[in-house]
Amino acid sequence: MTTLVDARDIGCTYDNGSSPIVALESATCQVKPGDRIALVGQSGSGKSTLLQLLGGLETPTKGEIAWPALGDRDDLRPMKVGFVFQMQSLLAPLSVVENVELPLLLAQTNRGQARKTAYEELERIGLRHLADKLPEELSGGQAQRVAFARVMATRPQLILADEPTGQLDHPTAHHLFEVLFEALAGSDTALVVATHDRKVAERFDTLWTMKQGRLEANAS
Amino acid sequence: MSMLSIWTRGLLKRRVGRLIGAIIGVALTVSLLSSLGSFIADSDAKMTTKAVESIPVDWQILLNPGADLAAVKKAVADTTPYTDMYQVGYADVSGFVATTAGTTQTTGTGKVVGVPSDHRKFMQSEVRSLLGNTEGVLVAQQTAANLHVTVGDTVTVQRVGLPPVDVKIDGVVDLPQADSLFQAVGMPKGTAAQAPPDNVLLIPDQLFHQTFDPQAKNRPDTVKTQLHVKISHPLPSDPSSAYDLVLKMANHVEAGLAGSGVVGDNLGARLDGVRDDAIYSRTVFLFLGLPGAILAMLLTTSIAASGAGRRRQEQALLRTRGATLSQIVALQGAEAILIAIGGIVLGILFAFVTSQSIASIHMVWNGTTILWTVISSLAGLLLSVYSVVYPAWKDAKKSTVADAKTNVGRARKPLWRVMYLDLILLAISALFFWRAASTGYQLVLAPEGVPKTSIHYEQFIAPLGLWVGGALFFLRIWSLLLEQGGNRLSFLFRPLAGGLSHVVSASLSRQRSLIARGLILVALAFSFAVSTSVFNATYNGQARVDAELTNGSDITITGTTTASPDTKIPELKKIPGVKDIQSMQHRFAFVGNDLQDIYGIDAQHVGQVTTMSNSYFGNNNAKQMLSDLAKTTDGVLVSQETITDFQLKPGDLVNLRLQNVKDHQYHVVPFHLVGMVREFPTAPKDSFLIVNSAYIAQQTGSGAAEIVMVRASGNPVDLAKQVEKIASPLTGASVTEVGSVQKTISSSLTAVSLQGLSKLEIGYSILLAAGFTGLILALGLTERRRTFAILSALGGRKKHLGSFIWSEGLLMLVGGAVSGIILGFGIAQMFVKVLTGVFDPPPESLVIPFSYLIVLIITAVLSMIIAVMGIRSISQRQVVKSLRNPNLYF
Repeated sequence: MTTLVDARDIGCTYDNGSSPIVALESATCQVKPGDRIALVGQSGSGKSTLLQLLGGLETPTKGEIAWPALGDRDDLRPMKVGFVFQMQSLLAPLSVVENVELPLLLAQTNRGQARKTAYEELERIGLRHLADKLPEELSGGQAQRVAFARVMATRPQLILADEPTGQLDHPTAHHLFEVLFEALAGSDTALVVATHDRKVAERFDTLWTMKQGRLEANAS
Repeated sequence: MSMLSIWTRGLLKRRVGRLIGAIIGVALTVSLLSSLGSFIADSDAKMTTKAVESIPVDWQILLNPGADLAAVKKAVADTTPYTDMYQVGYADVSGFVATTAGTTQTTGTGKVVGVPSDHRKFMQSEVRSLLGNTEGVLVAQQTAANLHVTVGDTVTVQRVGLPPVDVKIDGVVDLPQADSLFQAVGMPKGTAAQAPPDNVLLIPDQLFHQTFDPQAKNRPDTVKTQLHVKISHPLPSDPSSAYDLVLKMANHVEAGLAGSGVVGDNLGARLDGVRDDAIYSRTVFLFLGLPGAILAMLLTTSIAASGAGRRRQEQALLRTRGATLSQIVALQGAEAILIAIGGIVLGILFAFVTSQSIASIHMVWNGTTILWTVISSLAGLLLSVYSVVYPAWKDAKKSTVADAKTNVGRARKPLWRVMYLDLILLAISALFFWRAASTGYQLVLAPEGVPKTSIHYEQFIAPLGLWVGGALFFLRIWSLLLEQGGNRLSFLFRPLAGGLSHVVSASLSRQRSLIARGLILVALAFSFAVSTSVFNATYNGQARVDAELTNGSDITITGTTTASPDTKIPELKKIPGVKDIQSMQHRFAFVGNDLQDIYGIDAQHVGQVTTMSNSYFGNNNAKQMLSDLAKTTDGVLVSQETITDFQLKPGDLVNLRLQNVKDHQYHVVPFHLVGMVREFPTAPKDSFLIVNSAYIAQQTGSGAAEIVMVRASGNPVDLAKQVEKIASPLTGASVTEVGSVQKTISSSLTAVSLQGLSKLEIGYSILLAAGFTGLILALGLTERRRTFAILSALGGRKKHLGSFIWSEGLLMLVGGAVSGIILGFGIAQMFVKVLTGVFDPPPESLVIPFSYLIVLIITAVLSMIIAVMGIRSISQRQVVKSLRNPNLYF
């Protein structure tokens, strides 16, 4: 099975003038199709940075990273890698359906097809009735479900989610993952989720732990 | 270290960009207001100076019967510093009689003025020599025409109650200051000015006494003595203060005279008029300049408001750590003080530099300048407090920081939109505009015979209503277009956004309040730039046409029939810088018993040397009327008054009597009426006639032209000096240049050059248009940097990001510029119309300063390009940073 992401001793340091900030000390890891990985660790341990490096949003300042099954960094988004963020990441001026179809349009998908797919994804997560709402009219849970629908719409090979339930209460967070796992059931799409929630992490096949900027152990 | 100093240091270290932005906004406001103050002080001073220069005699002190002349002179000298004081006698006569070439002409009542013959000052300022000597017995031009006399002829003066006396004419003169020279001194305020006498003779003082002392004994009511005084006291530059001082001085003199005389205060009356003019001009200048200051204020508040999110976040943090409302306000106050101090110092310095260098304003440090400096500094301080402290205080008073809503979504309509305030304001504007069109600025004569203004300030409501109402109306239109025109916008954005066009248009549509607000700010900046530049260009152009109407052309040589200046045309043509030359006859003709000025022109070519305004002619079409006159050999254009008096209509035969050079007698010459003429260069304001010069030459036996008009290709002042050299051998010829005439035209408002203000406003309006287009766009886009970061994170490429940013930038620039240009032209048109009475003739159309408008548009486009490219580049480079920090600001 071809590896989706292959990272070897990658690290990331932000240049902040006289005192550079080491966001990620070292991480070596691989992500394969169908993986379900939970990334845990304390705040500031480098979880978000690792996800951004895996998704090609950031460039490592040390080590090597490659996407053997996905191609070059520039080819990753919007179709091959999808992101879900902790903060509200829906575009405020666009309606729910427009938000969901946006990555497809960025990938030059025909407008009619993009709209059809967007509706299908909203249907799948049970939010079809909110298609014409604006993000500010949604609850936090609904907004994150729409964010997942937006990612799913492109049928990506890798989904990276940075504490997607960080601002949600437990029942809502669990419901969100129910929906997500159901949507991904039987698919080869790999899922890497950074989370503080141990209960959520337990539902994943693999657990990665970050400590002081280092990816410590890969546990299955 | 106190919390306040930590906070201030933090601001200076980490918020320097926003601080500088706000300081620039405050500085622009302070500097615009301060420059406006300098300009007003400078123009006030110029108006006072010009008023003083335009009055040949400051005081005409009428001696009461029996007054001791020496005592009166002493009383004046003791109380008033003066440069000139001379005695002038006035005697009423029953009429004048002259017999020339076998015919006898008799006039009605007249006046004989006794002038000290050696008094050059009087001759220079109140009398203009036309023919013959400048000393001896001089006859007024119209009287000479009435009596058919010239130099060397004898005129019989019919004294009141005494036998007539004969005098021999030494010269013919014009009395340009007749209104004030023959004023009824001592008339109560509000009395209409007295018309000057039709028949006037000026005789030397000695002859006057010899002739009229006996009449004074018999009929003291018919002989009067005046002292003409030119005071030397330096006057304050402000017309009101100057008026107060002159009034007090006149009262002081009158008290000293103790009933021996009454002061006819020409200077006071003129300053009184100028005082009104000054108030009026201040209103005009404020209307021209204040919108700029308001825009600078809007710019400052927009810059400050763009940091609202950061401020709320900081406040929330401060409050969670126990900061009280007063502590929060004090911290924001520190920021406001920093902005105010920076803005005020920078603004005053900028005003000083720009006023001196760009606008060439002479800094007059008087009360007005100091008051304006204080006002502008206070405005800067208030603006800083309003922009920074007030919003902070308002936010801090709210129960939660989350009360602030975004600018996205289905917002409620604002109250002004529900109440149709825009349409109400436009209707009010239209109403006042309609009123302005029927009244306007008018010149009236004060009892002292000096001009003053009668004006209606409420007319300014028209342009004000249009500015505010128009801006709100455009805001309504753009909001509606953005709200309902999604599909059309999508079509428009297709070339830029391709497949994303409907998403881009939907995004813009949902942010309509933010977009429309920014667009209207750009529109207001454009409207300010367009309205002021168009008005100023029209004003400056018209002030020249106004002067040209008085002078005739750039340079005008006025001579006599016997020494006509047209003989010098071949020589004049050789002078470098002469663009064109045309001659014009100026004679006199009887229309019935009324003697009128008659001008013989080359109708086809006169327009080459002087502006032929459509408003001069009854049909409002100069080209057509002059063409009709050229086609009708014996055609004549007559004034409205004559047409009414004689019930004439085009085609009617008009018999005029013109003097023939062979027998010097007036003979009937038939003319045919072509049309009505209201005004004509060099012609008097009341009645005159315009005919073809060739016909005059044929009918009078002389083609001599008494006036030669020269159009200069360069500076008329330099050319006038060379023209003077060539014209100097001609007896009685005078050369006048358009610039010098501009100083003496009746309205002191048009005498104030707007060039300085124009330059200032043009500079500021370009800065504001660039600032609004670039900065408002940049600030708006910066507020949504996270949106662009998300778009990037989703896989949006440079072109996708560009499609959003360029669409918004172009919509704001094109929409704002188009709306602003329409609004600006409307305001300029309205402003010109409201001030129509200031101009003589009124402007026919707006003068469009194309080069300036092109510079304005290029500046705004460049500003937009810099803002768009800057934001696009930052958004792409700082995706992760923007995603992590939802309240990221520069």
